[in-house]
Amino acid sequence: MVSKTSEDNSFFTEFLEDYFAECEEHLAAIRQNLLALESFLNQPTVEPEVLQALFRSFHTLKGLSGMVGIKEAEALAHQMESYLRLLREEHPPLSASGFDALMEGTKTLEQVINCQHQNAPLPNIEPVVGQLKALLPPEIPPSQKGIITPIHLELPSAAQDHLKGAKEKGQQVWHFVFSPNSQRAQAGINVNVIRSRLEQLGQVIHAAPRLNSDHQIVFDFVVTTTAAESVFAPWSQDGVTWNPYETDRESLNPLETAVTTVKDSAETEPAKAATPVPEVEDTSPAPLLSTVDSPPALPLEPMTQPAPLISQPSTVVRVELPKLDALMRMVGDLVISRARLDDYIHQLTNSLPSAQLRPLQELNLTLERQMRDLREGVMRVRLVPIGEIFARMQFVVRDLVREIDKEVVLKISGQETEIDKFVVERMMDPLLHLVRNAVSHGIEGREQRVAAQKDPVGQIHLRARTSGEMVVIEIEDDGQGVDGKKVMGQAKARQLVSTGGGEDHYDGMTLLDILCTPGFSTKEQVDLTSGRGVGMAIVKNTVRELGGLLDLTTEVGQGTCFRIQLPLTLAIADALITNVGSETFAIPQSSVREVIEVPPSQIIHFENNEIISYRGQVLPLVHLSQLFHIAKSLDPIHPDTRLKIVVAGSSLNTVGLVVERIIGLREIVVQALTDPLVRVLGVAGATELGDGRVVLILDVSALVRMAAARKSISQGNRE
Amino acid sequence: MKRILVVDDSATMRKMVIASLRDLPGFTFSEAANGLEAIEQMQNSPFDLMVLDLNMPDMHGLDVLRFVLSHPDYQATPIVILTTKGDPESKNEALSAGASCYLTKPFQPKSLAEQIQELVNLKLGYNVN
Repeated sequence: MVSKTSEDNSFFTEFLEDYFAECEEHLAAIRQNLLALESFLNQPTVEPEVLQALFRSFHTLKGLSGMVGIKEAEALAHQMESYLRLLREEHPPLSASGFDALMEGTKTLEQVINCQHQNAPLPNIEPVVGQLKALLPPEIPPSQKGIITPIHLELPSAAQDHLKGAKEKGQQVWHFVFSPNSQRAQAGINVNVIRSRLEQLGQVIHAAPRLNSDHQIVFDFVVTTTAAESVFAPWSQDGVTWNPYETDRESLNPLETAVTTVKDSAETEPAKAATPVPEVEDTSPAPLLSTVDSPPALPLEPMTQPAPLISQPSTVVRVELPKLDALMRMVGDLVISRARLDDYIHQLTNSLPSAQLRPLQELNLTLERQMRDLREGVMRVRLVPIGEIFARMQFVVRDLVREIDKEVVLKISGQETEIDKFVVERMMDPLLHLVRNAVSHGIEGREQRVAAQKDPVGQIHLRARTSGEMVVIEIEDDGQGVDGKKVMGQAKARQLVSTGGGEDHYDGMTLLDILCTPGFSTKEQVDLTSGRGVGMAIVKNTVRELGGLLDLTTEVGQGTCFRIQLPLTLAIADALITNVGSETFAIPQSSVREVIEVPPSQIIHFENNEIISYRGQVLPLVHLSQLFHIAKSLDPIHPDTRLKIVVAGSSLNTVGLVVERIIGLREIVVQALTDPLVRVLGVAGATELGDGRVVLILDVSALVRMAAARKSISQGNRE
Repeated sequence: MKRILVVDDSATMRKMVIASLRDLPGFTFSEAANGLEAIEQMQNSPFDLMVLDLNMPDMHGLDVLRFVLSHPDYQATPIVILTTKGDPESKNEALSAGASCYLTKPFQPKSLAEQIQELVNLKLGYNVN
């Protein structure tokens, strides 16, 4: 045994970043599994797979923390592991105090790791360690723990039950055999690849290696699936054979009785049983390799699916985000260089004979396509599923609900939606705030809900989906809604809006603007959960900085829905290049709805607004020339000059941007304007075009707000 | 050159093990994140020594060990168990199943390197000095 001194801890400090990254993965898995565990509270049995997954995560965390010398994390993980072992082996029902201890322990463990990461003083772990210790029986002398437990007697039946259930559901059970070799490995066909293929097919309920009669290693997999055989027929080229798996107990071959189950020691997972002994292997495995038309395959000792949440295939490479940022910047530079080439070729159009020009143009087009693929590839690398932060929200709601007297269920959908890693990190706080808001302001108290004939349990939906180049996140509650009158009243009292107008004129946009004003809060009393009134300002600013849009729809008594639209990625975007006078502007394509041409006669002048009728609705116009005080080159009064209008914004709020020329779609590299001194309302950033010109990128959401504000002012004036 | 296969489901742990052993002359390293992958390597890129974790998804380390040692070409392969489990039962079980050496995490890099070197001298008749 290796002695445990701290003499050499410095050796492993170079792995600290890896350690923190891996901790994050395990903690995310733990959070998900704890939520799954909650449904087994006070139930007679607890799903063993969930316990197993949790156990393994804490086990790995314990080992890693010990290696990097973080004793507190090691001790905590050890205690959690001990309690989980008790749950797994002695099957006591999961008590509320036990679950609380696991939650507290996880939270403290996360704090310890975070504090260590930030070199902050570590929290005191003693209370929670004591809490966990109290759950364990006074002492378990390790030597008395059963070494040989006949777990294999009960587990196969569980797996058999699983098989039966699958058959009842009309699923087929297949026995796959994969024969690996080095040619296949070089071609990228290895056991992990085959396994993940099978996982896509259905559920892998057994996976084990075997030596066949030629002393070759093969892998057996038992899979339940609804997929037709034609789906995996091509895999025979990759060394995969299959035949239907026979589940009848009666047809058991002597092999099954000869298959030994691994003796499970205290920590051996029961689910990982079934290792064939070599004596049997020499004589009997041949039928397992039989082809489809041979007699039914021998049954294998199936095992339950190992927790898929935390199994990490070794094909994953961990990369620091700054490296990916650098890569993205390089792609950005390439995009600009190609745009330059594009312009140059354009200039040559008149001076070069077409026979010479054509290959250049074709090459340029190929280059463009390849660049687009490269850009997309780099972007994909940065995408992570949003589910991880959604799972955190479950924790938040759970904690909040305990502090206040409300019942709330958080429903999550679309957690597999992928979004840029940077965006996910930045959205953490805003989402946290919106969810907190929904719990503390949105959902009413129990009596109030009953009085309003609503389900006493409030619901909050957290949804994500991809829509074109954007990711849409919605936080919807079925609570009391935002009381527009009250908000307007308070806004007027605080002189956030002009007091002259009528009481009743507000829409989602106006309300949102007021709610997002720093310091604005409708809550009379500031409590722990929310009410200081700075949160919404943070939400709005973050969404804007990320180039996204924030919408609010609310109905008093029915509920509130915040919708956030975010670009999939930040650095490079497609944009519509337009021209006004001598100035050129880029409008992000993700916010362009369409481009229309309208004769000037269709414009309706209305107070200080210009509007047109657009698809049955009113579209406010913003003249970029007026907004940025640019001298027009065209004469708009000429009756033949049709106005070119770029319809931009989200589905709820649109604005018509009047431009003079549409130059075309270009890939642009977005450079944010973060210096407060050069910030201009309506400008989101700048980009460099192929000819080296610097062009401003319009901030569509700001322009939409501007148009909406004007509309409400004129509505106010009307009265 | 002798090849050491490091099997552990934690990527960080694999890195740490390899970093601890990288100064031993005459070795190359390969990695596997689970038991199935480790066993595939037996066939595709044979190894001379295995450093094996116990608690892993899919296949428990002991099952991997039993399988490797049941293969005619690998019967004499030195297998070093490197695990967080320190109880004597696990150790006995692993050693009686045929493990050459049972080490626990956290480990000291120097100590791990020394133990492996000793084992190599003894088992493979291969002097790394």
